Amino acid sequence: MINFENISKVYPPQSIALKDVSFEVDNGEFVSIVGKSGAGKTTLIKLLLREEDPTEGRIFFNDLEVSQLRCTELPYYRQKIGAIFQDYRLLNHKTVYENVAYAMEVMGATDYEIRRDVPKVLDIVGLTDKFCNFPREISGGEKQRTAIARALAIRPEVIVADEPTGNLDPYHSKEIIDLLVKINQMGTMVILSTHDKEVINSLKRRVITLENGELVRDEQKGRFIL
Amino acid sequence: MFTFIRRITRFGWHSFLREGGLNIATIFVITVTISLFTFLFASQGIVSYLIGQIEQKIDISVYLKPDVTQEDVLEAKERLNNLPEVKNVTFLSKDEVLEEFRQRHVNDPVVLESLEVVGSNPFYGSLNISATNPNEYAAILTVLNSDSFANVIQKVDYLEKKSVIDKLSEFIGTVNRVGFGLAVALGIVAVLVAFNTVRVAIYDSSKEISIMRLVGAPNKFIRGPFIIQGVINGTIAAIISCLLFLLIVQLLGPRVESITNGFDLGQWWTDNLGSTIMIQIVSGIGVGVISSLIAIRRYLKV
Repeated sequence: MINFENISKVYPPQSIALKDVSFEVDNGEFVSIVGKSGAGKTTLIKLLLREEDPTEGRIFFNDLEVSQLRCTELPYYRQKIGAIFQDYRLLNHKTVYENVAYAMEVMGATDYEIRRDVPKVLDIVGLTDKFCNFPREISGGEKQRTAIARALAIRPEVIVADEPTGNLDPYHSKEIIDLLVKINQMGTMVILSTHDKEVINSLKRRVITLENGELVRDEQKGRFIL
Repeated sequence: MFTFIRRITRFGWHSFLREGGLNIATIFVITVTISLFTFLFASQGIVSYLIGQIEQKIDISVYLKPDVTQEDVLEAKERLNNLPEVKNVTFLSKDEVLEEFRQRHVNDPVVLESLEVVGSNPFYGSLNISATNPNEYAAILTVLNSDSFANVIQKVDYLEKKSVIDKLSEFIGTVNRVGFGLAVALGIVAVLVAFNTVRVAIYDSSKEISIMRLVGAPNKFIRGPFIIQGVINGTIAAIISCLLFLLIVQLLGPRVESITNGFDLGQWWTDNLGSTIMIQIVSGIGVGVISSLIAIRRYLKV
């Protein structure tokens, strides 16, 4: 379970990114966070990944208070979260297979587990025939599927996707969202940040709406309303 | 641990193979740095050789009294030889000095005729003393001026040479000091240039480093491949400068030998092969690895 408690984030000197935001996400839930550009969606995800610390409030990941984690604990915390970004964030000098395997290697998976699991996740995202290509050799949709495969490979407790369809055409966007739904159906919590109206309305899942850094709506079967 | 080392070695090797341009630039700069160190090391050898050559030419000439006996001369020679400051003592009898003079002026009939005019051998027998170290001549002189040698020595030809010897000693000292200072200054510049090149290479990877951190890579997993890359770059640079130096020895060896009046660069290279290769490998890997470690630190801060 993830719990945001009265989170505020102010960038100096006085730019308020988030203002007193509180909500909980249960295990196995699929939550979409929507809002216009600058509403605070990306800041929320950065705080969850502990790329930044909140100005006020606390974030709990199960029993862990995220901002209290020591530097040495941070990699192990991040290994519990599969992160997907609009700009894919793949390692350009590694092949598709190596990008996925890397996430497993750094968390200490054995060679046997890597050889067993990487082809499986590449099969799930439909990239079996691209495993030896470098990111520069594949399309945007394939890059994002590689990022999803990398996130899946570490068997995370939660998948956090920040605008994963932002750079994709509608066809590839649907592919990615379908994959996230499939992952959620396998029992993994998914937090999706987007401003894609079609995506949100087709999902019919919980929607948290942010406006100017404030949580203005939290609906169980929400729609995209701004 | 073994798996960790194997993985970071593979990551480092892949990065080395796949990031061609920056690695070439890094290897080039490290090669220049190592070659500079090697050149300075070789220069030290040449300077030592030249100093040795000059030192061999310095000696004290002790002219012996005309009536001194052979036994007294040999005893004096023996006593001088036993001094720790003395490296070598050569005895030239009156006749040998005369013969040497004649040989030297064989094409100068006027000088030889003047010898005939004198009628007898005008030369003194002499002892030529060379010291283990140019600074020891003063100590030897003190011994020669003591009463124990008064019955043997006519004249000591040192004060005439003293000013030359002093100037030479000072010059040798200055050459050594300036050479060392220059070596240190050039070494620092070379290391800074190499460090900056590695820093640029790692800056280029800063985005990748942030991605590695986001997927939960511990710092040792991020740092490790860069260290391996530093080792690979340093080793290749060491091999290149080794081959480069070998080429220089082949091409310039005879020229250096003629300029320095006998310094055999090839022989020096063979004699110092171990230490030269050690300097090249240690400085290559050292510059590569230490630069990587320092440059990567800022990107590992959470």
